[in-house]
Amino acid sequence: MAIIETVELRKVFRSIVRSPGIAGAVRALFSREYEEKVAVDSVTMTLAEGELVGYLGPNGAGKSTTIKMLTGILVPTSGAIKVAGVVPHRNRQANAANIGVVFGQRSQLYWDLPLRESFELLRSIYDVPRDRYRQNMAHFSEILGLDEFMGTPVRQLSLGERMRGDFAAALLHDPKIVYLDEPTIGLDVEAKEAIREFVGRINRERGTTVILTTHDLADVERLSKRIILIDEGTVIYDGTLARLRTEYGTHRTLVVTLAETYEEFAVEGGEIESREGNIVKLRFNQRRLSAETMIRRLLDRYSVSDIAIIEPEIESIVRRIYREGYNESAVGSPS
Amino acid sequence: MIGTLPRRRFRIEPYVEFAKRAIMREATYRFDVFTSIASFAIRLYLLKTVWTALYAHNPAPQELSLPAILTYSTVALLMGLVMDIDQTRALHERLREGSIATDFMKPISVPLYFFAEGTGEVLFHAVLMLPSLVIALFLVHVDVPGPAALAAFALSFLIGYLVGFCINFILNCTAFWTLEISAGQMIVTWVSDLLGGELIPLVLFPPALQAVVETLPFAAMFSTPLLIYVGTIGPDEYLRAFASQVFWFVLLAGISTLMWRAGAKRVVVQGG
Repeated sequence: MAIIETVELRKVFRSIVRSPGIAGAVRALFSREYEEKVAVDSVTMTLAEGELVGYLGPNGAGKSTTIKMLTGILVPTSGAIKVAGVVPHRNRQANAANIGVVFGQRSQLYWDLPLRESFELLRSIYDVPRDRYRQNMAHFSEILGLDEFMGTPVRQLSLGERMRGDFAAALLHDPKIVYLDEPTIGLDVEAKEAIREFVGRINRERGTTVILTTHDLADVERLSKRIILIDEGTVIYDGTLARLRTEYGTHRTLVVTLAETYEEFAVEGGEIESREGNIVKLRFNQRRLSAETMIRRLLDRYSVSDIAIIEPEIESIVRRIYREGYNESAVGSPS
Repeated sequence: MIGTLPRRRFRIEPYVEFAKRAIMREATYRFDVFTSIASFAIRLYLLKTVWTALYAHNPAPQELSLPAILTYSTVALLMGLVMDIDQTRALHERLREGSIATDFMKPISVPLYFFAEGTGEVLFHAVLMLPSLVIALFLVHVDVPGPAALAAFALSFLIGYLVGFCINFILNCTAFWTLEISAGQMIVTWVSDLLGGELIPLVLFPPALQAVVETLPFAAMFSTPLLIYVGTIGPDEYLRAFASQVFWFVLLAGISTLMWRAGAKRVVVQGG
């Protein structure tokens, strides 16, 4: 069953055209000239209950604007939107009760008060039954290790601690859906891992639907099977990560350690990416050549002590799509 | 479609909690408590010295005797402990930081949230009135009027507080468009300090200036309750005084509502 549904969702911002300088500022007071900026052009997507979807796109692609419309704090210019049976901007408060939100760059915790107080406050805002509150707090404390800093004022917490607090805060009322907007930004490796682990568990164990926007594709690789790529306000890819990898990751790389030193080195069908001493990186198109063929050709001519195969990184694939755009015809052609 | 869902039941509990948290937050800045009491004592001492010197070298105006003006000044300073707080500054702070978005993502009425926050803050500072009053009693003689005048003063103070609340709210709402409000706020503070009767009773102003003051809402905040307290406004004038205060409150509350709606709409249409 679809829990989130948008059809040709569109958001256009209007701002007054302003010429530079004081004269321009004064003129702008009376000006009726507007400049339109399309933040979200047309986003159609359907999410089933319990899905965990990576929502990706370069800066300014319209990710945050979409999330804001889903949370009901931004009214779409046109298009339809429904979240858990509610039109968010028409029923902001009803929608708010169904969702949890975490912004990596912004906290919803009470800055001046001990962490515990923020949770107590949220309990009363969302009217969480006491029993449920105690259970959830115990559970989150255990996974996120909140007990160490429950009594510390939020402003004294480290970024990692604060983010853990923010996650617990967003999930305290058992929301059906959580929106995570760059939740791991600025965190160290260990904290990132703790957060990923937590999100994965919430999604698996509670069946919470998750939309995750991030620039760190490791988050997505680790957590979601499905990704939605958006660029210039339009969905350019919606499907599994695996499909994207096979369709777009046309090249693999062999990392070869040569047993002897060769002056000349060349393998038919392979492109030398780099060569440092006896270690050569050899790139080849996996649609034309199998890894086996490449290795056989290599071994026919050279003495090799070690071989490793590097899969195309999702990060470089996505970067290429942002740069060149996604089209099915690109599949199979050499880049 | 609107109306496909049952309306959410209104619960007062979160707003009580907001107010409680605001009190707790204020209490964490304990140093502020001492400085505000100390500054109260110093200001009171200065006012006493200045008024006493002025009255010693000039003929006393018939409206206010020296004891009356000292009572007036003391009560004005005590009122100031509560009235001089910008209860809704959280609104413009959250607009500037952009954190207002997270407020709109919660199942709460956002203006009520700010109202609750402000009330908590004011309640905390109202508690400070007590130690300040004790200090005041050591420094000056404060007249206490009869129960009728005291009750009228309390009512007038309450309406005056609401007028002040609306003025602050309107100022903070301008942050929806400008993000920054300090310049406007400074001007309003100067004007209201001077023309609200907090420092100098308006009855001592030249008649021309008094006429100007009557067209402004600031007198409703300090002057009216204070003149009731010291008896310059007598029982037969109470109704007229309340009516004028209520007029300002209704007008400013209306403007506040319009400002809030326009501002909130701007946030949801323009993204803040």
